[in-house]
Amino acid sequence: MSEPTSSEYVAESPAREAWRMYRRNLPAVAGAVILLAIVAATLYGSFFYAGDPFDIVWAPHEMPGVEPGFPLGTDYLGRDILAGLLTGGAPTLTVGLAAAAITMVIGVALGALAGYYGGWVDTLLMRVTEFFQVLPALLFAMVLVTLFSPSIWTIAAAIGVVSWPQTARLTRAEFLKIKELEYVTAARAIGARNKRIIWKVILPNAAAPLIVSATLTIGVAILFEAGLSFLGLGDPNQMSWGLMIGANREYILDAWWPVTFPGLAIFLTVFAVSLIGDGLNDAFNPKLRER
Amino acid sequence: MSALLEIEDLRVTFRTRYGEVTALDSVSLQVNAGETLGIVGESGCGKSITALSVMGLIPSPPGKIAGGSIRLNGEELIGVSPARMRALRGSDVAMIFQEPMTSLNPVFTVGDQIAEAIMLHQKVSPDQAFRDAVALLDRVGIPSPDRRARDYPHQLSGGMRQRVMIAMAVSCRPKVLIADEPTTALDVTVQAQIFDLLNEIQRDFGAAIMLITHDMGAISEMADRVAVMYAGRVIETATADDVLDLPQHPYARGLIDCIPTLGRADHALKEIPGVVPPLHLLGKGCAFADRCAYKFDRCDAEKPLLTDHGRHPVACHGAEEGRI
Repeated sequence: MSEPTSSEYVAESPAREAWRMYRRNLPAVAGAVILLAIVAATLYGSFFYAGDPFDIVWAPHEMPGVEPGFPLGTDYLGRDILAGLLTGGAPTLTVGLAAAAITMVIGVALGALAGYYGGWVDTLLMRVTEFFQVLPALLFAMVLVTLFSPSIWTIAAAIGVVSWPQTARLTRAEFLKIKELEYVTAARAIGARNKRIIWKVILPNAAAPLIVSATLTIGVAILFEAGLSFLGLGDPNQMSWGLMIGANREYILDAWWPVTFPGLAIFLTVFAVSLIGDGLNDAFNPKLRER
Repeated sequence: MSALLEIEDLRVTFRTRYGEVTALDSVSLQVNAGETLGIVGESGCGKSITALSVMGLIPSPPGKIAGGSIRLNGEELIGVSPARMRALRGSDVAMIFQEPMTSLNPVFTVGDQIAEAIMLHQKVSPDQAFRDAVALLDRVGIPSPDRRARDYPHQLSGGMRQRVMIAMAVSCRPKVLIADEPTTALDVTVQAQIFDLLNEIQRDFGAAIMLITHDMGAISEMADRVAVMYAGRVIETATADDVLDLPQHPYARGLIDCIPTLGRADHALKEIPGVVPPLHLLGKGCAFADRCAYKFDRCDAEKPLLTDHGRHPVACHGAEEGRI
């Protein structure tokens, strides 16, 4: 694509420009389409395909594609797998998003303060971060979930609390690098205050790796939620993909489908989120735009 | 008459692994309204530290203002509250940086960045600030400013970016404009344009300019008065013509001999032997003594002070005793 000459140059808002760049990235668009399809299916699926996923509706371990009423078969108790997939997606996605949000809020705030101010602030915050980092994440999350009654919100909080150190370190590293750059001094020279420099000068420049990190965190959080449910620590009254895999794992040699379909759903979701993360990275980074 | 910006006996120290070193030692400078003061010297002689001291931007720690005074319009800047200093920065003193490539924020359009600078000091709506930014871009000679205002820094050339920096620096009509090697990163032809622009801006806004450079050519083009710095001290100060025509300090002469002259193939460019000594190794004598052709006993024993020996103030024992 040729660069527009000044005579045909049309001003374009940064958001529009990012969207234009994003659209040109085929894998990223594919990721967005897959994720939208998954979200739509989990939000509206139950309208078209009714049924309580906990109801025993048929004989156990019905093969997929045999009985028209249950296209993906049934599990070891005779529960409908498609109904489970459609209703089990919402809590999984909610936990993933909420946990990533908590991770980003804690991680970016602490990392930004540590990297920007340095000195004793940095030392204190980084020791706290290391304290959280050396705890085995899954075990720590299990402890937190068992201490409080499991619900999607406590699970999201537990995942957020164990996964922020990575984000904090990444944010700190970006801030350490960017705060030495001349445009930060230039911002100070026009009279900007620290708060403004942190949020409006440095953070936007650190956004690209943080956005990628955030999307990857969504993926990790979804896996985490699945892992906790698999171990039986999820909310037992809430159907989720992890719970389906966990409940059916003992019969995996007799019936592959009750674990395969929720596993595929988790894989596709995490994969789509990663593709979107990469696409956002390219779209938001003005240095890559004219490439 | 008191000058617009008055630096008196400024002393700045830095904590390093060699102990505390003195980066600026009894530096005294004055700039009057509408005047351009050139500060010349090699890398590491304290030019930029002087500029950052005025802006209150000495990185601290390790840096520290250990003494002296900086007065802007009679107001003491050393020890002033951070909030007051912030209010002065940008509105009363502004700075143009050396590298236009790196001193603009890459993720915002240049129009937005200028508008931000305006809104930091003036109560105007974002729309008005953006319109002001476009007007400023027009003023600094950027063609189709309404379109360029929506460009990101990487879409502009080096000269254009430096114009944007100038627009940002003058956005609040500062009384003092500090230009830290504003043209070092630019082509010679663009350099001349930027100097013209700075001169115009000075005429329009009546600002005092402190031009920091290592280029005597820039001094002859821009400066009314000159201060030559070496190893953290001012070693010679006078009007630009005086320093260029009758330099007294051997170092100032050396700098002038470094200016290439067109059409003189026989005239080999002179260089000043050696480098600026590391600040932690400065002895009690003259810091330039080891590189000086006129050195004599007194130079190693006693630090020369800036005094007028007939022509203009110079810090050199040789000049004082008439040996040079």
